[in-house]
Amino acid sequence: MIYGFFPGCAYQAAAGYKESVDSLCNLLGIELREIEDWNCCGATAAFSCDRHKALALTGRLFALAARQGFDEIVTVCNACYSTLKKAAKLLGSDPGLLENVNRSLKAESLELSAPVPVKHLLEVMFRDREKLSWPEGPCRLPKDIKVATYYGCQLTRPWQNVPRALRPDLMEQLFTVAGLETVDHSARTLCCGASHAVAYPGQCRVLVSRIVNEIKAKGGTLVATICPLCQFNLDQGQHGSYRAKLPVAYFTQVLGLALGLPPAELGLKKLLVPLKNIPAG
Amino acid sequence: MIGKGYCVQADLEKKLQAEILGREPGNSILTCIQCGTCSGSCPLADAMDAGPRALFALIRDGQVEQALRSNTSWYCVSCYQCMVQCPQQIPITDIMYLLKQLSLEQGLVPRDNKMPDLYAAFERQVNLFGKVSEALLMADYGIKHPLDVMANAAAAVKLLAKGRLHLVPRKIEAPRRLQAMIDAAGQKEHAR
Repeated sequence: MIYGFFPGCAYQAAAGYKESVDSLCNLLGIELREIEDWNCCGATAAFSCDRHKALALTGRLFALAARQGFDEIVTVCNACYSTLKKAAKLLGSDPGLLENVNRSLKAESLELSAPVPVKHLLEVMFRDREKLSWPEGPCRLPKDIKVATYYGCQLTRPWQNVPRALRPDLMEQLFTVAGLETVDHSARTLCCGASHAVAYPGQCRVLVSRIVNEIKAKGGTLVATICPLCQFNLDQGQHGSYRAKLPVAYFTQVLGLALGLPPAELGLKKLLVPLKNIPAG
Repeated sequence: MIGKGYCVQADLEKKLQAEILGREPGNSILTCIQCGTCSGSCPLADAMDAGPRALFALIRDGQVEQALRSNTSWYCVSCYQCMVQCPQQIPITDIMYLLKQLSLEQGLVPRDNKMPDLYAAFERQVNLFGKVSEALLMADYGIKHPLDVMANAAAAVKLLAKGRLHLVPRKIEAPRRLQAMIDAAGQKEHAR
């Protein structure tokens, strides 16, 4: 499988996201082909300040992806996902906005006829699960590690094209393929505070503790996330507040461990709250 | 009372109200039944000087200046929970974006909220490099809010030790062309 890949700005510094995505995709037979010369999607900042500038930024990305022959854009970040989805909806339904974007895109010698569909890596992995080369054998994650999934907010709403948006189970179902079972809890789509954690850490700490406490209460000992901002906020947000800290990893790291990839290839040392008791690879 | 400073003239306030309520997404404020589900589902409602429900009541009542001076839209974290829960299917988060843009245009941004500074620093990163590096974003934001950045100093040291702090900016191939594109788009600000 070949995917048009949009890593987004936060991916590079994220705790082992790149390492684990690379190793996992290599194992499953997925080729991520990066959209060449991609730019920042603008995130919530651009849409907060100027809608036309925000649409130009996303328009450039769509135009690059289309020119490079990709029929969908695969992201690994909830903020990129929702920003591109929002832009695709606006540009796909309002010809005036699309015309404006095309006028600005002239500066880049680019043209956009229609926005390119956007998917999260989790979505496409699940959709294409039968075409991927899953290794045989039982789940290699030690039995005493109880995984709890955390989707954060922007993947599931308000786009509603992820099934059961208020109680998603995409990750659970994908984990089942690898023989990995998860702990049920009610904080899967609560908000982590996103970029507000920079300016308002006190308020956001409350949001993080809602999530962490719920997962702990339900017996979870490892959180699986799908977004660099969620992972960072949950990981860093426990600093100084909790005695027994809950490790927070990416779904690709958890899946990699379950499929028997060596921990050293999954960038697990970059987590702030360490993940202990995993067999050394 | 929200905010201090000069008063928007009454006719301008009327014009702004018409601009908000006259088209999508603001026009759906007229269908709000004031049930408060939005404020009840908002993760940061406690920090807001008016929840989304109260904000919509202000706008319908014509108190647009007070609504635009309120910190509500700037505390909106874009989690879209209100939008999913709203029984009237009002695109509340999208309306928050519109209100932020209008308050910037009218110079009514609440002075005690830090998000406009963070967003401005973010925009500068995009304009300069086309991509955002967290360390440089924090450094830029830190010029105005050094305490916030210093509070994260311990985390920064840890990130640096783990090879996760990148001090050299990544750039797209031609940031100047991107800048020209953004400038061209910005000229349509009032053509909404």
